[in-house]
Amino acid sequence: MNYHEKEMRVIYALTLNELIARNPNVLCLEADLSKADATIHEVSTKNPRNFINCGVQEANMVGVAAGLAREGKIPFCATFTAFATRRAYDQITISVAYANNNVKIVGNSPGITQGPNGGTHMCFQDLAIMRAMPNMHVYSPADANELRAVMFHMADHHQPTYMQLVRPKMPKLFDENCRFDPLSAVRLHEGSDVTLVSTGFMTRFALDAARELSAEGLRVDLLHYPSVKPFDAQALIESARRTGAVVTVENQSIIGGLGSAACEVLSEQHPVRVKRLGIPDRFGEVADQEYLFDKHGFGPKHIAKACRELARATT
Amino acid sequence: MVEQQQVSREQLDALAREFRYVVTDAICRSGSGHIGGVMSLVEIVITLYYRVMRLRPDDPSWPERDRLVLSKGHAGPIVYTALAYKGFFPKAWLATVNQNGTRLPSHMDQILTPGVEMTAGSLGQGLSAACGMALAAKLDGKRHRVFCIIGDGESDEGQIWEAAMFAGHRQLDNLTAICDYNKMQIDGTTREVLDLEPLADKWRAFGWEVFEIDGHDWDAIYDTLARADAVTGKPAMILAHTIKGKGNRETENLVDCHNVKVPDEATYGRIMCGLECKMDLPY
Repeated sequence: MNYHEKEMRVIYALTLNELIARNPNVLCLEADLSKADATIHEVSTKNPRNFINCGVQEANMVGVAAGLAREGKIPFCATFTAFATRRAYDQITISVAYANNNVKIVGNSPGITQGPNGGTHMCFQDLAIMRAMPNMHVYSPADANELRAVMFHMADHHQPTYMQLVRPKMPKLFDENCRFDPLSAVRLHEGSDVTLVSTGFMTRFALDAARELSAEGLRVDLLHYPSVKPFDAQALIESARRTGAVVTVENQSIIGGLGSAACEVLSEQHPVRVKRLGIPDRFGEVADQEYLFDKHGFGPKHIAKACRELARATT
Repeated sequence: MVEQQQVSREQLDALAREFRYVVTDAICRSGSGHIGGVMSLVEIVITLYYRVMRLRPDDPSWPERDRLVLSKGHAGPIVYTALAYKGFFPKAWLATVNQNGTRLPSHMDQILTPGVEMTAGSLGQGLSAACGMALAAKLDGKRHRVFCIIGDGESDEGQIWEAAMFAGHRQLDNLTAICDYNKMQIDGTTREVLDLEPLADKWRAFGWEVFEIDGHDWDAIYDTLARADAVTGKPAMILAHTIKGKGNRETENLVDCHNVKVPDEATYGRIMCGLECKMDLPY
């Protein structure tokens, strides 16, 4: 199957069916957004016993998932990022992470990809708040093949986990048999002039910027982090030692997410200049991607500009 | 032991006196604790652990066991007392309730304590978890029962009513919930703070079979748990009318016995003297 011809949300649903075929304890929990998550067509029809629609009850969905997990089930609970994380934050903290129950929380349409739903639905802080939770892993895959690898890993490991799920089609970045290791960043472009750090939705744009800069003779070391927590500190330190400058980019607030994770590591272990790109301390709004990239300054051209400036400043 | 043995009325009364004495001492040793909502549950917890629930203390994760989720997790010490007396861990552990490094924290912790099914303490979450456990049993075709004790103050939480709707919709007839209806919450009576009435009607409207009992009456508790087991097609709610701080003259008369401070020996002595009996501690 050419997974990249399908929307990421469809890959999510198809992969759940694969996981259920391997292990019938895998369950698909929804909170009345199974159409948005594409599971209503794929999972509820093919595996109706594994499909549990809780209604618009995010808090209860997480609690029910904790009870299911306690009995050996592997529940994947999906809804929009805002409701998956900040709305059910205490339930995830206590019933899932603190209790170490094997629940998977899936946040559909992260950051600005919530475009038409606007500020009430745009969650810019899910990486930050989920990363701040002890015992919680935080993943953000960048393409369909990586999404499948991440989901297989989630199903096979007893580990409370939050995963961002980008909804639309994404260009192919990884091979079909790509591996996912939460302890390892992935180098997508090699260089020694500036380090570029990205995750999830932004990695394709970071790679575009790295290729554009390569044509100009600026060599970008692009590290993609499918796992924001745990965070592969060694890869970043090793890269920063060679480049001396780091740009981070994420489809999130610059407070608390990937950029903050990078700064925590660098400031303590190898201080270099850093520029964080993402949404400044603002709420979302109804707007399309280009508008929001330009407004907040974290699209491909802004990434390239920041890389040029930092590389220049450190040479 | 799998099947529960016959326990005489005299034995139950003696157990209740002993549990009240031991749990009060255990809480007081730590300097403060949730005495009120522990004492109101003594007869209910003893009935569950000695007469109703199928358990194997030497095998806490025996798959066929009945499950109890104490959603009002602050009453943990009364469940710890039952678990210790049933042999899940040494009674000596009870002397460590809420002490540094303990495996018996104020609120229920499934990782620390053998026999504790679900971590609870942030109110409103345990009933959802119990729904998940009951649903898992249904999915797997298992016959064990899931019990969940919630508080009346806890019933202010919206998540309780999310779970109520979910359990009713899913017809979780393997789930029996018990509401410790002692009419008191931290800031006052439930009537003053946020009135729950008509509480039985609310649960019925959410699709539950509802029973109302005196939560200190041995026969009523036992018989109603049996009747709840016989309910099919819907979950059962037992509204147990109880007295917060029950069985201790000192705490029964306190306006606020939710979290009692025991700062000194004199207070400790006064609270222990409020109990019906004096006995040797098992640790």
